[in-house]
Amino acid sequence: MGLNRNVSLMTALRYKGQGPFLTYILHRIGGLGMAIFITVHLLASFLSGKGGHFINAIYENWVFQIFIFFCVLFHAINGLRITILDLFPKLIPYHRQAITIEWVAFLAIYGFAVFTIIRTGLGG
Amino acid sequence: MEITIKIFRYDPEKDTRGHYETYVVEGDENDRVLDVLELVKGKTDGSLAFRRSCAHGVCGSDAMRINGRNHLACKTLVRDVGANITVEPVLGLKVKKDLVVDMDPFFDNYKKMLPYLINESPLPADGRERLQSPEDRARFDESTKCILCAACTTSCPSYWANGNYYGPAAIVTAHRFIFDSRDEGASERLHILSETDGTVRCHTAYNCTEACPRDIKITKAIGEVKMAMVTGKLD
Repeated sequence: MGLNRNVSLMTALRYKGQGPFLTYILHRIGGLGMAIFITVHLLASFLSGKGGHFINAIYENWVFQIFIFFCVLFHAINGLRITILDLFPKLIPYHRQAITIEWVAFLAIYGFAVFTIIRTGLGG
Repeated sequence: MEITIKIFRYDPEKDTRGHYETYVVEGDENDRVLDVLELVKGKTDGSLAFRRSCAHGVCGSDAMRINGRNHLACKTLVRDVGANITVEPVLGLKVKKDLVVDMDPFFDNYKKMLPYLINESPLPADGRERLQSPEDRARFDESTKCILCAACTTSCPSYWANGNYYGPAAIVTAHRFIFDSRDEGASERLHILSETDGTVRCHTAYNCTEACPRDIKITKAIGEVKMAMVTGKLD
């Protein structure tokens, strides 16, 4: 007798793992976002008429571009950090510093990208 | 001071699912969460079930989620978590009653790591102990500190998703012997850890390192084991 061991997604997300766990979650959101983007993108290329135009209109929307750029950039930079720490385990004790550097690099590049997307989006 | 503690409750003889009950006790900011649980059990509700033994952070009995994160109740002070405390059982293991979880799967994984010295070589000429330099001892010093409280394993999202994963604590145990210069079972353990439920399931969320009450750099230990598997070197 006893409660089963299953951990729901919401329970898992509520775990207070702090900074490293946040990057772990965002990494998966980024990966999922890219997978959906590529799937629908492929679908759009096979669709003709209104369906294809509708999907293309979403892609061309600057709000969507901000989202997908977040997914791609965060996934790439976080993946790079994970790869470096995997290759050099002696650096792992400095993972918090590595995450700080990652956020600085991400925010600098992403901030510039968002600024450019918004300026282009609003400027036409 | 007044401490409000919300505790996960589950009685397998009455409940089909867990629920929370809130208690208000009079305590001190320097009390440990374990003291508060003892107050609730001793003065308010004797049916409350939780594990405790040494109460000094050595036995590893009282790992639980305190305010959403794994801690040892005996090492967590009220002043560090505030006067509003939520206590829940650790995740990923079956809840037997209230805060008591079934530790059998955890110890089954521990046993799979062959947690004992393997050395078939004859004893040294003097027939006494197998000597080891301080440098060789330092190589695995950190992983000897593990108290098997399961705070790491039950904070790991890979373990939540798949209970067959050996988990961080088991890998730390393996690390303790793999990098012991007196041990000869490293290849056997690395072979076990190279299986589907071994180190490949570690996705470096670092929850284990953050949760460890002994401050063991668990993700580093797992990384070293991974590297030993890839390179075949133990230095």
